Amino acid sequence: MRLLLAGLFFATLLPAASAAMSRGFNRLLNAVVRIDVREVTFDEGTKRLEAGVGSGVIISDDGLILTNAHVADPHAVEISVTLASLERVSARLVGWDHWTDLALIRLDLADVKKRGLSFTHAEFGDSDALYPGQTVYAVGTPHGLTRTVTRGIISNKSRYFEDSRGVRGYETGAFNTWLQTDAAINPGNSGGPLVTEDGLVIGINSRTYIGAENLGFAIPSRVARRVAAELVKQGRVTRSYIGLVPGFLRDLETFYSLASNTGMLINSVDPGSPAARAGLRASDILLALNGVKVDGRFPEQLPPIQNTIANLPVGSRVKLSVKRGAQLLDFTVVTEKLESRVGEEWAFESWGLTVRKVSRTYARENQLPDDTGVIVLGVQPGYPAAESGIARGDIITKAANTAITDLAELRKIYDAYTAHPEPLLIEAQRNRRISLYIFKP
Amino acid sequence: MRTFPLLLLFVTALAGARAATIAELFPARLKSVVAVEFLVQTEIERRPVVVLGTVADANGTIILPGSAIAPQLAPAQLKDFKVYRPGTSEPFTAEYLGQDPFTGWHFLRVEEKARALLTPITAFPAAATEPALGEELWGIGLRNKDEDFAPYLQLGNVGMITRLPQKTAILTADVAGPGLPVFNARGEFAGLALNSFGQNFLLFSRAQNGVPILLVNVDESSIALLAEEVLPNLGRIPHAISGRPVAWLGAYGLQPMDPAVAKFLHLEHQSGVVVSDIMEGSPAALAGLKERDIILAVDGRPFPHLKPDRVLVVYLGQQVLRRRPGDVLALTVRRGTEQLEVKVTLGEEPKMVREADRQYFERLGLTVREFLYNDSIAHRIKPADGRGVVVHFVKPNSPAATAGLRPDDWVREIDGVEMKTYADATKKLAAIEADKSRAEFVMLVSRGGETSVLRVKLN
Repeated sequence: MRLLLAGLFFATLLPAASAAMSRGFNRLLNAVVRIDVREVTFDEGTKRLEAGVGSGVIISDDGLILTNAHVADPHAVEISVTLASLERVSARLVGWDHWTDLALIRLDLADVKKRGLSFTHAEFGDSDALYPGQTVYAVGTPHGLTRTVTRGIISNKSRYFEDSRGVRGYETGAFNTWLQTDAAINPGNSGGPLVTEDGLVIGINSRTYIGAENLGFAIPSRVARRVAAELVKQGRVTRSYIGLVPGFLRDLETFYSLASNTGMLINSVDPGSPAARAGLRASDILLALNGVKVDGRFPEQLPPIQNTIANLPVGSRVKLSVKRGAQLLDFTVVTEKLESRVGEEWAFESWGLTVRKVSRTYARENQLPDDTGVIVLGVQPGYPAAESGIARGDIITKAANTAITDLAELRKIYDAYTAHPEPLLIEAQRNRRISLYIFKP
Repeated sequence: MRTFPLLLLFVTALAGARAATIAELFPARLKSVVAVEFLVQTEIERRPVVVLGTVADANGTIILPGSAIAPQLAPAQLKDFKVYRPGTSEPFTAEYLGQDPFTGWHFLRVEEKARALLTPITAFPAAATEPALGEELWGIGLRNKDEDFAPYLQLGNVGMITRLPQKTAILTADVAGPGLPVFNARGEFAGLALNSFGQNFLLFSRAQNGVPILLVNVDESSIALLAEEVLPNLGRIPHAISGRPVAWLGAYGLQPMDPAVAKFLHLEHQSGVVVSDIMEGSPAALAGLKERDIILAVDGRPFPHLKPDRVLVVYLGQQVLRRRPGDVLALTVRRGTEQLEVKVTLGEEPKMVREADRQYFERLGLTVREFLYNDSIAHRIKPADGRGVVVHFVKPNSPAATAGLRPDDWVREIDGVEMKTYADATKKLAAIEADKSRAEFVMLVSRGGETSVLRVKLN
């Protein structure tokens, strides 16, 4: 009986809401675009092009479009946008931020003007004001089905998941929580907006559990607006890094004799990171950051704490108040610039070899002494690299007796090789085993 | 071998013609063949294992292939060795003597009353020369325990003889159970069957077309170590169950030098091994061997030409293991553009996993063992920094398993206290295990360079 009443209640409310939403919602529909991307991959020893389809939403009248970092990234060589009018316009990447899975592209306005095309831009809503159960809509291009609208509710306002390889092998999710919705989100919805009934953008749809039903996730508009502003200004988001990997404290307060809702467990400390050098250790409890108390009792409380650290200027000093056993200790840590594990990629066509630079982060994770070397991403059968016996996953540390400290070093050696092909001595490592190889013309 | 079906037909025809001879030879040689059953006692189960063995001497010594016993098993976990003669169900008891580091063989001694019923392999004449290409060899296979290990004849022809690094015959068909002897047509001892190699096949099914798979026959083998490699080593009975003394070089990550690299370095027609890692304080380090050195010769003898290249690494390993701690190994080494001689006084191999002290905590669901020298290699630390304990076993669905603990994890702190020694850790864990009111405890654990906090919920 109560169910029926509830149904009645909504039934009487709905028409009024629908009338109000139609104008805003229509405007939103006209701001949603399909994005076709062709991008370079370096996986198999050579450059190849890969095509993908995603969604996006126009957020300004000068043609800025917000989408996912896993839709448009720096490997993109061709971005083509289909407007609501079904006209196609090319676009270029303004910047991307894989940590929040957001990217910003800009329409070719000269072309838009020349062809007399028009578009509208969407308005943002307040993602903080959402409540669980609130009706929301996802708009986008699932499986290439242009202009699909699906409906659902906000299932959870602050879902936490971190994925160290979530965005095309790049890290994501450490600095923001996600909106969870049961509005159907499928591959191709990525980058499209999650909106309220009146068409206000409150999230950018990003991911779903494959195989699960109605578990979709979106980046909240509060995060998206801030990241978009940074990307317009600098083309990237610069963050600080100190090397703490947090853990949630739930159930451990008594063990560490803490007052409830105090502190964040330091689950691990990256070896060689600023925090490690300052003397912080796994199992320390972080009580305060620059004198401000932290509370990391639950997983979803961790991204805001990480974000506080990330937002500090690079190179700034931060005071960490820590509990270790019964001791209270203060550490001063100087922040470094946050770097992805994934380094720059390159293809050496005449060798049939594609590589990725060893980054500081990669070196740390794999216990390498420093960031010297390039990781072999792929070798093409029949080419000198493959013939020499080198294989995917090997780390080339030396070529022609020169340490490969950066990609430019190897490019120089490659250029010399292509000008005068001569056998070249390569030193590579795998699991700390050193092997020698010869690239023969 | 591609010609397998044709050859087999030929062999069967030949064997038919000569059946009387083998039939005569067979019963006597059957007496040098046994099946061995023993129990492996782990934390949560007892598992019977059946392997095949060859009688090595008149004192009831039996050799088993190296693969018969997993290397991490402590001798104390191996129980109730029983020896069965082919075609019988009455076992004799036997004692485990240990593993020889050079051959890898495990040695057993069967009880007195069985010895009269057995004939050592040395009682038969050994083949004077290595078998000729195409020569027919034969051996014995044994059925399973439920068929009383019934013996059956196997025949094959020599397809090739190669050095791996020992002289090894590869036959056109399976000739014997792995670990059992192989004879020639005159009944002379020709070799000892090793574990079979994998063979490539394509698997066709309704869903998939031609998926490449590797198949290994575990009951029968077509690979035999030649008699000349077997006979000199039958007397290598371990003096101690640990198999010690074991010679130790202390150079790790050995990689064969690619022939193209040899040519580039003007070392044509030479084989070499690149050293990746020298552990601090090891004999190699003390002798001044360096990372990136290329070893070219041992005691002045250049490496033989061996294929595939990785066999060279086994060869070098055996050069060490056939010696004793205290022996000097002279290595000719290429370092940069220099060539020099490094004289290494071999040491005694540090404690191995099977020798490590270990303790099982049933309620917590884990076994920890001492931190060993070899663990410092795996965790890339200096041997002197190796403290605490290493997880040896995690019981499925136990509190330790639920917490995410895994074998080989390095436990550094328990409840916030650093575990300096094995005794510290076992004492602490025993106290937690005994405290029934405990709801949880916390461990600081390193895995792959990352150290993190694990919470173990009890009850």
